Amino acid sequence: MTLTSLAVRNLARNKFRVILTVAGVSVAIVAFLLLRTVIWAWASGAEWAAKDRVVTRHRVTFVMPLPKRYVDEVREAPHIRMATWANWVGAKDPNHEQEFFSTLAVDPDTYFEVYDEMKVTPDELATWKKDRQGAIVGDVLARKLGWQLGDRIGLQSGIYPGDWQFTIDGIYTATAKSVDRSTLVFPWAYLNDSLPPARRETVGWIVSRVDDPARVADIGLALDRRFDERDTPTISQDERSFQSSFMAMISAVLKAINIVSAVILGIMVLILGNTIAMGVRERTTEYGVLRAIGFMPGHIALWIVAESLAIGLLGGLGGLVLGWPFINLGMGRYIEENFGALFPYFRLESGNAALGLSLAAVLAAIAAAIPAWRASKLRVVDAVRRVA
Amino acid sequence: MVPIRYNVRSLAVRKATTIATAVGIALVVFVLASSLMLSAGIRKTLGTSGKANNAIVLRMGSDAELGSVIEEPSVPLIFAAPGVARDGRGQPVGAAEIVVVAAMEKLGTNGVTNVTIRGVAEDGIQFRPDMHIVAGRPPKPNSDEAIVGSRIRGRFKGVDLGGTFELKRNRPANVVGIFEDDGSSYESEIWVDREVLRQTYHREGIVSGVRVRLESPSKFDAFRAGVENDKRLGLQALRESTFYEKMSEGAANFVKVVGMIVSIFFAVGAMIGAMITMYAAVANRQREIGTLRALGFSRTSILGSFLLESVLLATIGGAVGIAASFGMGLVRFSMVNFASWSEVVFSFELTPRVVVTSLAFACGMGLLGGLFPAVRAARTSALNAIRA
Amino acid sequence: MTDEQKSDGAPIVQLKGVSKTYTRGDEAVRVLEQLDFEVPSGSYEALMGPSGSGKTTLLNLIAGLDQPTAGSVEVAGKRLDGLGEGALARWRSTTIGFVFQSYNLLPVLTAMENVELPLLLTDLGASERKKRALTALRIVGLEDRVQHYPRQLSGGQEQRVAIARAIVNDPTIVVAADPPGDLDRKSAGDVLSLLEKLNTQLGKTILMVTHDPAAAERAKIIRRLDKGKLVS
Repeated sequence: MTLTSLAVRNLARNKFRVILTVAGVSVAIVAFLLLRTVIWAWASGAEWAAKDRVVTRHRVTFVMPLPKRYVDEVREAPHIRMATWANWVGAKDPNHEQEFFSTLAVDPDTYFEVYDEMKVTPDELATWKKDRQGAIVGDVLARKLGWQLGDRIGLQSGIYPGDWQFTIDGIYTATAKSVDRSTLVFPWAYLNDSLPPARRETVGWIVSRVDDPARVADIGLALDRRFDERDTPTISQDERSFQSSFMAMISAVLKAINIVSAVILGIMVLILGNTIAMGVRERTTEYGVLRAIGFMPGHIALWIVAESLAIGLLGGLGGLVLGWPFINLGMGRYIEENFGALFPYFRLESGNAALGLSLAAVLAAIAAAIPAWRASKLRVVDAVRRVA
Repeated sequence: MVPIRYNVRSLAVRKATTIATAVGIALVVFVLASSLMLSAGIRKTLGTSGKANNAIVLRMGSDAELGSVIEEPSVPLIFAAPGVARDGRGQPVGAAEIVVVAAMEKLGTNGVTNVTIRGVAEDGIQFRPDMHIVAGRPPKPNSDEAIVGSRIRGRFKGVDLGGTFELKRNRPANVVGIFEDDGSSYESEIWVDREVLRQTYHREGIVSGVRVRLESPSKFDAFRAGVENDKRLGLQALRESTFYEKMSEGAANFVKVVGMIVSIFFAVGAMIGAMITMYAAVANRQREIGTLRALGFSRTSILGSFLLESVLLATIGGAVGIAASFGMGLVRFSMVNFASWSEVVFSFELTPRVVVTSLAFACGMGLLGGLFPAVRAARTSALNAIRA
Repeated sequence: MTDEQKSDGAPIVQLKGVSKTYTRGDEAVRVLEQLDFEVPSGSYEALMGPSGSGKTTLLNLIAGLDQPTAGSVEVAGKRLDGLGEGALARWRSTTIGFVFQSYNLLPVLTAMENVELPLLLTDLGASERKKRALTALRIVGLEDRVQHYPRQLSGGQEQRVAIARAIVNDPTIVVAADPPGDLDRKSAGDVLSLLEKLNTQLGKTILMVTHDPAAAERAKIIRRLDKGKLVS
């Protein structure tokens, strides 16, 4: 029997209160893990972005297109292995007005090579390359809208009016976690041919693979310098920076989420501290007796902190046990399906889990600090005399 | 039946515990109130943007001016539709404008965000009766002069009175004035001359959207019929209020839903805290409760008394939380409006509804958290008075 | 001081064939067995007995705090056994005055407010309640401490406030569970004198449980219990 094990066994004295406290801590940890995962999932989209891809777009506003001949020039530039392009079509399925997904007009020959983490079976790819009105859709999108291979679908675009008819020639899945699986891609020629001559031969942005990921920033700059003096200047960023810039747009939201995470931890400390303080008040006489026997103030303080740590760890574990299925199976599924563009991968990552557990422990120790300190300061005579 | 002062003073006597629990509840209410305030602020910003007697015409299928394209020849047809108000000279009251988003460098934080740039004609400011220049002067037509909305002044490089920013390479614009418009979303925009914008961004022959003033709100249906009748034009007409509602719906609901989910999580935590506190109170006051029962107070009166104590505790916490959220009124929150792809700055609005909802939430927490302990109290036997 | 005849009046407490059994875990503990017990109106009786003799249980039954397992309990003309909790509570509030060993005052209420408590269960208005509470406090000699909180009073004073509370609603019977308790001899004596005064001057029937022979001597009659049975 050690002082620590005594502290832990002490928890059994008021099982009910301990259980409630553990529950409170668990709930706080689950909420914390959820918020942490939101931020992490957002950021990790950028983390997992391919390190060797560069996105080239109009410098001033991505609303404006680039001339298609830029693609050839990019392909000829040094260190560029291959390049593809895409145009944003912004279409909706009239049968599912509320569902938002990306629709892109792309170059069939090169798109899936530049984005090689999007996997399509060779047969489907071959069929699609030959079908001017073919579409390849992400598996999550297909499942959500109930699309099967071979279906004929019609979409409407706000930017390019008219009916857009497609045949689903393929369904892609992803090997990398950062890929949005709710996109529909179709051959650029279909779009281009439908435009009035004045608006043809433009692309939305160009995506290239470089041969030296370490120098991706320089390679991008070089591309931009090439187009600097033209009428249409560009800005080329590696995919990670490109996605990070989206983060800047919602920096206020992220700040808010961080604040809120701190608040929940604050609540947790209050609950825990309160419980510990209550227990201390009730057992003042006992502490006095222990002191009389010969234990030191430091022992008493340690005892109290150990109790708190035990509750904190139990609560932290409880939070993990509850949080894992909640985030991975419940919320995670929902978010990946409906907000896949922003959160392609929403899972409880082990780093975050460890953070949650350690915070529970550390904050538990902090919560016990004041009660422990006050208990250790008590004079033996007072403690023995005091009626709880 | 049990005097209320018994509960009030009992709370006052257990200072530390009462404060800890109340602060926990205050934190929860603060978070809830803040998110409700933000949601109200979003509605207010985007809500005041829409006037009852204005209608906006966009390309069919677009949900924002950004993605909408209207051919120039359609504009006079729109102005000629039934229900459009006319000014003293018999001219239709309306504004055909071009809207783009430009990436601009944020000041103060890292990164780049999109800002809405609106190309307006001479009638632009007049069309908005609540709009006025609060600093500097209105721009000269057909010049490179710009005016900036009060909410985004100083948030981006060069975007302030006297500053210069680049519309495009070698195409600078000078900021000559700052405008306000009753807190609407226009205040997050930059306005330049329409023809200048048209040339800069190669928007020849098109505009993004057309707004008109209706003779009266009831004339909308006639107007809409007139505009949407000719399917070849591919236009849709919306009341301005509906238009903004749809835009803000997403953001406002998102904030409200996230706020409520987060608050519910937190509330569970705080309620557990309240439960622990009240259970301890009941346990410590067994003799008192037994005495009350011996004296003849019914179980129901005991139940009510402890429920009241819990609700009192929660209400104190709630009041503190609401008081704290007053401070949020000074905070400005910027978010990217995903419909317009640009940054809009929102404020936190404390409405009576927010106060009432938050207080009710706090009371609810007190009721739920205090229910079980109150039941335990009610079950206290009168014999407890006699037991030592 | 001396054993006096039970000459005060008709029985105000009548227990017939009363048994009370508790279950402690798996065991059934028989505290009272087939007990017959009577107290005449206006009497002042002390109940004595060793620990476990059932004297406190008997008190609880008479005061309407507990129900017998078997037998009939009639107090102040009312059959208590078989009454529901709510009915018992109402009955207690009008019929019984309690004096506890540990005073049992509510610490967050003043002396006046503590004494007023039983009156809150009546229809009396606030001013009437205050008047009666003040009267009760005057009887126990504490009219100059009405605004004090229990922690500001000595043990003896607290017990006197408790007695004031016990008589404020003019109960038929005053039930006292070891009233001298932990008090020092002087305070204990004062409390017992007060109880005597309640009996001789106000005509209250008093039932006191005690294990202190000196306290028991102050009552008119001493009854003894042993193992759940009356032995005198």
